[in-house]
Amino acid sequence: MGEDRAKLLPFYLVIDMSYSMEGENLQAANDIMPALADAIAENPIIGDKVRFGLVDFADDAQVLLPLCDLLDPDITLPGLMTRGGTSYAAAFRLMRKQIEHDVLQLKADNYSVHRPAMFFLSDGAPTDHDHDWRSAFHELTHYDRQTGTGFAMYPNVIPFGVANADPRTMQSLIHPADGVKQMRMFVMDEGNKPAVAIRAMAEILISSVLNSGMGMATGSSGIALPDPDQLPGGVSSHTADEDFL
Amino acid sequence: MSAPGGRHAAVERPERPPGRPVDIGDPGRAAATVVPRPDGRFPFHNDIVADAARVPGPAGGELHLLAASVRGLSHLYYGKVRQDAFGHLVTRDGRWLVAAVADGVSAGSHSHVAAEIVTRLGCRLLVEQLDDRPAAELDWRAVLDGVGGEIVRHARQRLGLVDSTLPDVAGRLAATALFAVVAVDPAETGDRPVHVMSLGDTSAWVLRPGAPPAWDPLQAVKNDGSVVASAATMALPGVPVELAPPVTTSLTPGEALVLMSDGVGDPLGGGTGEVGEYLAGAWREPPDPFTFIAQVGFRRRTYDDDRTVLAVWPVQ
Repeated sequence: MGEDRAKLLPFYLVIDMSYSMEGENLQAANDIMPALADAIAENPIIGDKVRFGLVDFADDAQVLLPLCDLLDPDITLPGLMTRGGTSYAAAFRLMRKQIEHDVLQLKADNYSVHRPAMFFLSDGAPTDHDHDWRSAFHELTHYDRQTGTGFAMYPNVIPFGVANADPRTMQSLIHPADGVKQMRMFVMDEGNKPAVAIRAMAEILISSVLNSGMGMATGSSGIALPDPDQLPGGVSSHTADEDFL
Repeated sequence: MSAPGGRHAAVERPERPPGRPVDIGDPGRAAATVVPRPDGRFPFHNDIVADAARVPGPAGGELHLLAASVRGLSHLYYGKVRQDAFGHLVTRDGRWLVAAVADGVSAGSHSHVAAEIVTRLGCRLLVEQLDDRPAAELDWRAVLDGVGGEIVRHARQRLGLVDSTLPDVAGRLAATALFAVVAVDPAETGDRPVHVMSLGDTSAWVLRPGAPPAWDPLQAVKNDGSVVASAATMALPGVPVELAPPVTTSLTPGEALVLMSDGVGDPLGGGTGEVGEYLAGAWREPPDPFTFIAQVGFRRRTYDDDRTVLAVWPVQ
C-alpha cells in the first residue's frame, strides 16, 4: 500500500422530482445546494474533506452533479426540474451503481474514503411495485461483514419525508436501522407546509455535514445527525424502531 | 512605530528567516484559514511539546532522541485540547531507553489525561520491571493492566465516575498505547535490540537507509485493504484477552526507530508515497528540534489530527 492524498467524506442528496414537487417546493429544493456550498465555505476543516453529489429521480433517476468539491470554482450547481412519477427503485439502483463507481474512482486516485451518507428526500409514495423498490434498496444497503457478501460500500441512509411521503415507508429506508451507527429519519409534521419542511430538511442536511467535521474531531468517523431537540420547527426525527404513528 | 533615527534605531536585529511551515502536497484550505482556538476547559495543557536529548549508555553508546507532539488543525479549529502524548525514561542502570506514544480517543472529554497516564506510568512500570528482568522477558500484560487500572482509578477518584464500569470510563477517557524498549549501548554486533508493544493504531517503524530509504512497519498498516476507512481502534483502559506478542527487532547506526500517532501514520500510509519520501529524507539524521517540530506538524489537506512522533537514532 502507498499513501493517500486526502481522506474524504462523500455525501449524496437524492431528491424526488415527481410533478408534485412543482412550485414552491421546487424552489425550496433548488435552494439547498447553494446554501450547502455557502455553509461549507465557512468551515475549512469540513470544506477540505466533503465531496457532494446530487441525484434526482422521477420515472427514472439521473446524476445531476457528480460527486465533487462544492468549493471548486469550476463547479456549476445544477437546477432541479420536475419530470414524472416516483420510482424509488430507479433511485436506489442508480445510487448502487454511482457509489461503487465513485468510491472505486476515488480510491484509484489515492484518496481514503469514509462511508458515504445519502440523504433521500421524497414527497410521496413510490409509484413502482413494493417488491421492486424494496429489492433495489436491499441491493444498495445489504452487507454481511462475516461472509463479505452484499455491498461493502453501502451508504448510511437518512430519509427526509415531506408532504405525502408515507412515514412507514420512509422509516423502512433508515440504514443502518440499529446498532451503534444507527441512522434516523426526519419527517414533516402534519399540517406543515412542504416548502417550509424542505427548508428545514436543508438545515438538517447542512448541520449534519458540518457536524460530521466536528464528529471526526471528537471520535466518530462519519455523519453526525442533529439532536432531536435541536431540530428546526415543523419536522420531527425518528429511529427505525420507534412506534410513532 | 518610531521614526528613522528614533530611539529604536540603534538596536540591531539579527536577520533570521521567519519560521516556515512544511507542506507535503496540497496543504488544503484549512491550513491557511483555520484560526487556532484555545480549549478553555484545560488552559494549562500545551498545544506543542517537544524534547531533544542524547542519552548516554554505561558502555559508551549513545542514542539521539527527538520527540514532538503538536495539536492538530481540527482541534485548533474546534477549540479542543491536544490528545496525543509521548514519554521517555531511562532505566536505573542506563542500559535501556523506554519510550511511549499514546493517542487519546477523541470521543472522550478527558482522553488527553489517559494519554498522559499511558506515557508516564507506562514508562515507569517498564523501567521498574527492567530493574530485575531482561527486556525479552517483560510482562507486557502487567504494564497494560497497570496503566488501565490507573485510568479507571483516575476516572473514579478524580472525575466523579464513582461506581463506573469499564465502558463508562472508556467513554470519558481512553488512549492507545505504544511502547518501545531500546538498548542504549550496541551489542557486539553493533546492533541494538528493540522491543515494541502496541495497542491500537499508534505505530512503530524502522526507517532504513537506502535509495530510496524504506519505512519498515513493525505492525500491520491501518486500513490496508479495507474498502471504506474506519476510525475504530483499540485503547486502554480496555486490555484485550488475546494480546498480540511484542515485536522484537534491532536498530543499526544509520537507521531510526520512529514511533508515531495516527495523525502522522495515516498520511504516511505504507510509507512509499511523498509523505514517506519527505520524512525519510528529513529524518535520515536527527534535525534540530525546532525543525523537527515543523516537520511533525507538516501541512497536508484533510490530515488535521494531532501529530506526535518520537524518534531514536543510534549514535555511531
